[in-house]
Amino acid sequence: MERNDCLLLFDELLELDPGTLKGSEVLDSLDGWDSLGVISFMALADENFGINLQPRQIAGCTTVAELIGLLDGRIRQQAHA
Amino acid sequence: MTNPLDLAGRTVLVTGASSGIGRETACLISQLGAHVILVGRNLERLAETLRLLEGDGHRAEPFDLSSTDEIPRWLKSVSASCGIFNGLVHCAGLHKLRPLRVLNSQMIEDLMRIDVQAAIGLAKAFCQKSVGAPGGSLIFLSSVAGLTGQAGVAAYSASKGAIIALTRSLAVELAGERIRVNCVAPGVVTTEMGRGLIGMLTPEQAAALEATHLLGLGCARDVAYAIAFLLADTARWITGTVLVVDGGYTAH
Repeated sequence: MERNDCLLLFDELLELDPGTLKGSEVLDSLDGWDSLGVISFMALADENFGINLQPRQIAGCTTVAELIGLLDGRIRQQAHA
Repeated sequence: MTNPLDLAGRTVLVTGASSGIGRETACLISQLGAHVILVGRNLERLAETLRLLEGDGHRAEPFDLSSTDEIPRWLKSVSASCGIFNGLVHCAGLHKLRPLRVLNSQMIEDLMRIDVQAAIGLAKAFCQKSVGAPGGSLIFLSSVAGLTGQAGVAAYSASKGAIIALTRSLAVELAGERIRVNCVAPGVVTTEMGRGLIGMLTPEQAAALEATHLLGLGCARDVAYAIAFLLADTARWITGTVLVVDGGYTAH
C-alpha cells in the first residue's frame, strides 16, 4: 500500500471525499478526529498493516502526515515485497 | 462435609480453553472433580491448559468452531470416545473494538459465526442422543456489552445480546429434555483479550473504564466461579437466566 492509499483510507475513516486529505492537515482541526477516530485508526493499522499502535504514539502526532508516518516502515516493506 | 459445587464424575466440554476465561474455567472445574474436554484451534495451547488441570480423564480436542455445520457430527464422535457430556461451556469468542465507521460485514460475520452460530451448533450437538446427558447444563458467554450500550462495540454488543436471547429461547425449548441453558455476562476481566482491549485506550480512558467497575476490573477466576455454579447442582433450579459478573459495572 502506498502513502496515497493511506491518505484515502484516512479520508474514508473521517468520512471525507476521496482525495481530500493531503497530509499537512492538523489532526485536531479535523471533524471526526475524536476518541473513536483514534480507535478506528488503530483498527485500520492493525487490519491493513498488522501494526499494533499504542494510543500514546497517536497522541504524539500533530498532522495527518505524522500519523501516516507511523505506518511508514510497513508501507515501504509492502512496496518492496 | 458435602461440597455443593462438586463436579466429580461429570464430563464437561469447554470451548476457548486455550486462554482466558475458558482456560481458567477448565482449571477450576477440574479442581472440582470434573473430567474436562478442552476445545480450541491450537493443540499446543490446549496442551498447555491440559498440564494445568488437576485429576485425570481430561483431553484436548482441537477443532475450529467456525465450521459450524460440522459441530454436531464432530461432537458425536468426541462423545463416542470420551462418554456422555454433563455440561458444555462455550467460552470461545472474538472481541475487537471497532467503531461503526470501520466496521465491515466480514468482521460482523466472523463475530456472529464464533459467538452465536457456534453456540447454536453446540446446543444442537449436545442434544443428540448419547452426547448430552439429561440434567445437563449448557453455558454461554455473553457480556455486559449485551446488556448496556458502549461506543465502538456495536457488532460485539449485537452478538452478546443475541446470546442472551438465544439462552432464553433454548432454555424453554430444552427444558423438556431436562437440559438447563444459562449464560454469564462478565464485565472487563484482565485476560489476554481484556488487556488487548484496554491497550487501545488512553490512560485516562482506561482509568474511567476501571472506575465504572465499582469493584475494579475482574479476573478470569471471578467468571469461572460463576460458570462452576451454573454447572453444578447449585443451579439445578436455574435455567434461562443471565448471571451478571461485572464488579458492579451495570449497577449504574
